[in-house]
Amino acid sequence: MLEIRGLKKAFDGHEILKGVDLELDKGDVLAVLGPSGGGKTTLLRCLNYLEKADEGTMTFLGQTMDMPAMNRKDVAAYRRHTAFVFQSFNLFSNRTALQNVTEGLIIARKMAKSEAEKRALAALERVGLADKRDAYPSQLSGGQQQRVAIARAVAGEPDVIFFDEPTSALDPELIGGVLDVIRALAEDGMTMIVVTHEVRFARNVSTRVLFMEDGRALASEPTAVFFEEQKNERIRSFLRSLDRKDD
Amino acid sequence: MGQGLLVTIPLTVISFALALGIAVICAMIQIADVKGLKQVVRFYIWLIRGTPLLVQLYLVYFGLPDLGIALPAFPCAVAVFALNEGAYCAETVRAAIESVPKGQMEAGYCVGLSYIQIMRRIILPQAFRTAFPPLSNSLISMVKDTSLAANITVTEMFMTTQRVAGRTYEHLALYAEVALIYLLFCTVITWLQRLGEKKLNAMNGGNVIRA
Repeated sequence: MLEIRGLKKAFDGHEILKGVDLELDKGDVLAVLGPSGGGKTTLLRCLNYLEKADEGTMTFLGQTMDMPAMNRKDVAAYRRHTAFVFQSFNLFSNRTALQNVTEGLIIARKMAKSEAEKRALAALERVGLADKRDAYPSQLSGGQQQRVAIARAVAGEPDVIFFDEPTSALDPELIGGVLDVIRALAEDGMTMIVVTHEVRFARNVSTRVLFMEDGRALASEPTAVFFEEQKNERIRSFLRSLDRKDD
Repeated sequence: MGQGLLVTIPLTVISFALALGIAVICAMIQIADVKGLKQVVRFYIWLIRGTPLLVQLYLVYFGLPDLGIALPAFPCAVAVFALNEGAYCAETVRAAIESVPKGQMEAGYCVGLSYIQIMRRIILPQAFRTAFPPLSNSLISMVKDTSLAANITVTEMFMTTQRVAGRTYEHLALYAEVALIYLLFCTVITWLQRLGEKKLNAMNGGNVIRA
């Protein structure tokens, strides 16, 4: 459904992505793992055109596009099929939980208000926060804000959702609730790319793993193969170091 | 003096409303980095902030007629006050817009909104909340600055007072009275500011904690 070839991105002459390939089928949950500074977040931001790729082609829903050549209109059309969940939530501060979800539906997708609210409530229900519909972001905990952000992402009925370290800004006791929501989405067959440091989550929920280091994909394989039959010594030592942290 | 107040109030209100419009447009041009126009805005702000208001009033009212541009006193005062205050408020508004986290814009894009829609619906309302106290400050300054319009023959409150004082020689009583009226005027604005801040706070669900 989504295929990326030769994605490159540099900031001020410093190459962050050095030619990344990636493919995703409908219903896949791709976990992107790897050390900090390896280009995981930049990859995800390029996928939703929050950063403009320097090179690379994208094939999405059967249509192949040259990524740097996409204009504003192409990007807007593409974004109707995607959603993005940020590390720092980025809920609209001047909107309630419900309005955060309806904003895109009513304004961007021109949906009737009643229809949008019905859909938004269902999305909030899905993340267990229907009772917080009238709360402003400042009145919600980090975990609740992130769940509202996920509801906002889901409500647009995207073909794929991008998660950028969705639990990295959360207190440890709030992480579980957010991961449970993402897990439930996976069980419902939602296609997702999740940049994460939660290895256990990647092992249990993802269908594929992409391992990024130094701007390259060191591995892109099914989750079971990645964890159980890992041959790359660098990845094995990375996983071992995380295991130690878990103990 | 009551007659003078009938000039001072519209002079303040019209000038400040225009100033706000100028400020938002100038701030947006700077934020959106509109080529060419940005330099014009920078020049305008530099020029206005670097020269005294009284000199600007003289220049426009007494100076421009030499070029064949002669404005009546009241519109002339409105134009100068609006342009002057607009330059200061432009910086206030620009800083307030820049204080809104970048993630708000990105989140807007990701749910499909356009730049203009995000600005109008998400960023500017939040920026307005930040800009509100300093803008109220500017308004209070302006109320008092309008007394300078007396210098270019606008019969606002201070000018009326001067005339009466010239006739009756009751300087202390009259100038104390006009001071009191300015004070009262500004007290009402301060009171409105507090009310407005409360309302704006409620619209964002209390104190905003930004992650």
